[in-house]
Amino acid sequence: MTVMRNDVVKALAKVTVQSNEQGLIPEYEVLVNLLPVSLLNTLTERLLAAAPDRKPEIEAGLVRAAYECGYHTGCGIITSEIFSEVVMPMVTEDEKDILRGAYAAFTAWGWAKSGIVQLKEGKKMIVRAFDYYEADSKGEGLRAYMLQGLNQAFFDLTYADPYPDGMDTFVCKQTKGLETGDAYGEFIVTCK
Amino acid sequence: MPGLYGPTITSDPDDRGLQGNLSLTTITDLLQFLAASAESGAIKIVRHPQNDEGMIYFGKGQVLSANTSERTGLESFADMLNWSKGSFNFLPGITPLETSIGLSVQHAILEAIVLQENLTNSFTPNSAPVIEKGSMSMEQEPRESTDVMNDLLEISGIDAVVVVGRDGFVIESAGSSARVNIDELGASLAHSINGIEEMGSELNVNQFQDMFIEYGRAVIMCKPVGDAIAAIVTPDASKLGIIRHKTKKLFQELGLSF
Repeated sequence: MTVMRNDVVKALAKVTVQSNEQGLIPEYEVLVNLLPVSLLNTLTERLLAAAPDRKPEIEAGLVRAAYECGYHTGCGIITSEIFSEVVMPMVTEDEKDILRGAYAAFTAWGWAKSGIVQLKEGKKMIVRAFDYYEADSKGEGLRAYMLQGLNQAFFDLTYADPYPDGMDTFVCKQTKGLETGDAYGEFIVTCK
Repeated sequence: MPGLYGPTITSDPDDRGLQGNLSLTTITDLLQFLAASAESGAIKIVRHPQNDEGMIYFGKGQVLSANTSERTGLESFADMLNWSKGSFNFLPGITPLETSIGLSVQHAILEAIVLQENLTNSFTPNSAPVIEKGSMSMEQEPRESTDVMNDLLEISGIDAVVVVGRDGFVIESAGSSARVNIDELGASLAHSINGIEEMGSELNVNQFQDMFIEYGRAVIMCKPVGDAIAAIVTPDASKLGIIRHKTKKLFQELGLSF
């Protein structure tokens, strides 16, 4: 038995989320929100348009923001009650299965329809995604900043030093993108 | 038969025999063609450059017997299926002295491949897949999985190819099947393989290598490729032997991507 993606997605999809009076949803030990994807993409486009000569810095900043968010939220996810109830009973291959469960949760919550293609434990991971935030964004070149940061965060959480000391152990590089006409987005996480 | 196989096979008007070159067709294709034509006789094969000779006798859609200078029966038949260079000559009406195989062409090919794989596994346990010339050289960069899957799709009888992660994530698919929903296949396959691997572990019979599931309206063949599972969907089992033979190297190549 290993983590069965469909079972996780079905179980998590049944969970009712209720936002508080400020529109924030207390889940996974953090506050998450529900906003349209276009908001993030518009912000990205405006940042890049505001300083075109500083594109590499802005891109690195966007990936960093996603990474830090993913690292802390990710820890909340994999230690949450619902993750323990839904995913942990299926975990037989330790870290590998926790990662599989995390990507199933990504998909269930609509963050990215993604999954692991190849995993060399503690060394390398290849992820493919068939939908993600920036897939329909306007711009040039590979620009899945959010998923780059999240992939790196989850690999750090799984294989680097225990939270919160394992930050910046691994790095994620995007090699293919829906936004550039590829059939899927591809991301490779390796040691820094 | 002039024209059917282009320059590969020619017809000799004197003895009505077919002859040709193995560089442009395969023994499995030839056997299938002759069986479909309800022919009986023997195929004499000469492998180049070794000049090894072999005979395959068949009749009424069955492989009756086979022999090479070193082997007889199914072992020699399995050996000859791997001969990729050489010439052949079909000799109609010739019957063997004894029947050492006696299986339908499809069944004989399937049994020969199983035998070959068992022999390979017993000699090279846990070894990396051997990629031979023609599919990929080890010095070259591995091909994109999409290219390999498209090659699989070109094999006659294959409707769809899908690669699924152990968690049921459909990593990649090519082609389509009117009979099987590919997304649902991913989840179902992962469940089935998990069960089968648990059984293998309980029985202590090593890791799973192949699975064939024959349903009324479709046949699904699965193989592990790297850490994932590849499955092909065919409408029925009639070409399974040929498909298994032709997919072998491509599955090995696909394993390099996952």
